[in-house]
Amino acid sequence: MNQPRAVAQFNYWHELVLFGLLIGLLGLAEYLSPGFLSLRGQLYLSRHLWVFAIMALSMTLIIIAGGIDLSVGSAMGLCAVAFGVTFEMTGQLPIAIIACLLTGVLGGLFNGALIARFKLHPLIVTLATYAAFRGMAEGISQGESYSQFGDRFSELSRATLLGIPLPGYLFFVLAVLVGLFLWRTPTGRSIYAIGHSAEAARFSGISVNRIRIGLYTFSGFLAGLATVIYVSRFDTAKADAGRGFELDVITAVVVGGTSIFGGRGTIVGTVLGLLLIHETRQFVGRYWQVDELKSIVVGVLLIVSVLIYQLLVRQRETRSH
Amino acid sequence: MTRSARFMLLLLISLISLGCRTESGTNVGDQDKLTVCLLPKIKGIPYFTSCHTGAQEAAAELGDIELIYDGPIDGDPKEQAELIEQWIVDGVDVICIAPNAPLVVANAMKEARDAGIHVVTWDADGVPESRSFFVNQATPESIGRGMVDVMIADVGPDQEGDVVIISSDATSANQNSWIDAMKPAIEESKLTLQTIKYPGENAANALADAQDLIKVYPNLKGIFGISSVSFPGAAEAVRQAGKSGEIKVTGLAVPSEMKSYVDDGTVNSVVLWNTKDLGYLTVQVAKALAEGRLTDSDTSLNAGRLGEIQIEGDNVLLGDVMVFNKDNIDSF
Repeated sequence: MNQPRAVAQFNYWHELVLFGLLIGLLGLAEYLSPGFLSLRGQLYLSRHLWVFAIMALSMTLIIIAGGIDLSVGSAMGLCAVAFGVTFEMTGQLPIAIIACLLTGVLGGLFNGALIARFKLHPLIVTLATYAAFRGMAEGISQGESYSQFGDRFSELSRATLLGIPLPGYLFFVLAVLVGLFLWRTPTGRSIYAIGHSAEAARFSGISVNRIRIGLYTFSGFLAGLATVIYVSRFDTAKADAGRGFELDVITAVVVGGTSIFGGRGTIVGTVLGLLLIHETRQFVGRYWQVDELKSIVVGVLLIVSVLIYQLLVRQRETRSH
Repeated sequence: MTRSARFMLLLLISLISLGCRTESGTNVGDQDKLTVCLLPKIKGIPYFTSCHTGAQEAAAELGDIELIYDGPIDGDPKEQAELIEQWIVDGVDVICIAPNAPLVVANAMKEARDAGIHVVTWDADGVPESRSFFVNQATPESIGRGMVDVMIADVGPDQEGDVVIISSDATSANQNSWIDAMKPAIEESKLTLQTIKYPGENAANALADAQDLIKVYPNLKGIFGISSVSFPGAAEAVRQAGKSGEIKVTGLAVPSEMKSYVDDGTVNSVVLWNTKDLGYLTVQVAKALAEGRLTDSDTSLNAGRLGEIQIEGDNVLLGDVMVFNKDNIDSF
């Protein structure tokens, strides 16, 4: 070993590099496009972040555990339709919100049951529900667009407390809770074990099935929660809600340093990944004023971050054997 | 240094150099220029591209306009809302939007107005409280009845038969206003409106819808394609089914796109307006608003090379529809 022990054992190089990249990006952005870092502007545009951010929390847990959930975007569509239909039938916002969350939970439970009990591969199962949830949403709504939920509901995603939007507080609380769960609780730590080797985890007494079902159900719940914010933001509940979002969420989680193979990842990393992608998109939009460029740059960012991950984490892992 | 470290450094350097733009960048907020943002329903289709050309002409003519043209490649209204929000932070002067889904963008548009940015709609209207003016190509009556008149002339004034309408998005205000004008006109004629389809701004869906309709309605005499995407789709379906001439097709599209269908007889007439003028007028309205020359009570506006333009309430009217057929289609 030609490095001091502490350096060799430091496991969070990826997160550190992400942090450095973020600072670098912000500096570069402010230099090339003055006014980019205005606090008011940043807080105002943060609304582009919350829906992805919330779902990224559960996605992080699922990917660390060696699974994947491709159905979160489609779940949003189904939840949105549940919301719209329920509101149309009852005229009551709280009932519509409950219907939305419940739909998410049931969808997640369905995923979890198929993956855990029937031992089907998560990619296959969530790919199937990716199609099925969207199809159900379109079938039930017949393409109809539900709206007019009242000004108070529309304010939900826009209202600010001390300048910070409400969804921001929600995300912060959730991120802290999920982060502590992952870091400090036995169940949280066992998620890493399941990601490394589900069989070994099972033999050491970890109830792999129950945890898996819990993770996918939680993912469904957060999809429902994200949908409430989404519908509030756009004043519209339609079956196409969340189309394509699963890819953006997974991208954020992977950029954040969670290994797609499982067993490694942090909530801090995911948050950094979310911020990096968000700020990159904002900067690209502001500087080049070409909408399509945003996706291209995020794609490059993903590749760069995977390369960094290879360099810092994987090589480190092989060297220490 | 190690090979991989060298590679990473190279990558980083190339990424940073990407940031040093050489093209004429948008230095948003250039003090002596008016920043006008033109936001189409969907970026990249000929209809809106020609509106952009007209807008660029106006910007060049007026001299002090910085024109930003950006919009969703896939027509996603949520992208439109996000672009508006970005422009609010950028501090632009005027936002001109052709909304796909008025409700989705209404809040963003209102926030823009609250921030002191002028907001107008063009081509398709939004929620009235969210904009100060709507730059309308022609009254819905003239567009709707124009198309129906063309269809009646094509099919034959005494002919009975079924007609169908293929629109765009169900939430699109302009198509809906034209449909509202077409319905009574069709009632008055000997034709019967059987159904209306909404394939969105998606060419494949429009083609599929048209093909279905040809199969479902044996007595189909005419198809209205009332978007610049659904009109070519409908014409293609009729041509592929070998029914050119049997089933009449008319609607709204950029004439150059329909030329081959007019040449082979699938389409007799194309209804439209001058899209370049629409873009031109929109920029003129934007500048007049920003300079305070255009107020709520005005009934006309001097719009450069277009002369005096009529204003009805909060609608700035470009003019009347134009009908293109074999004789004049090459001139557009």
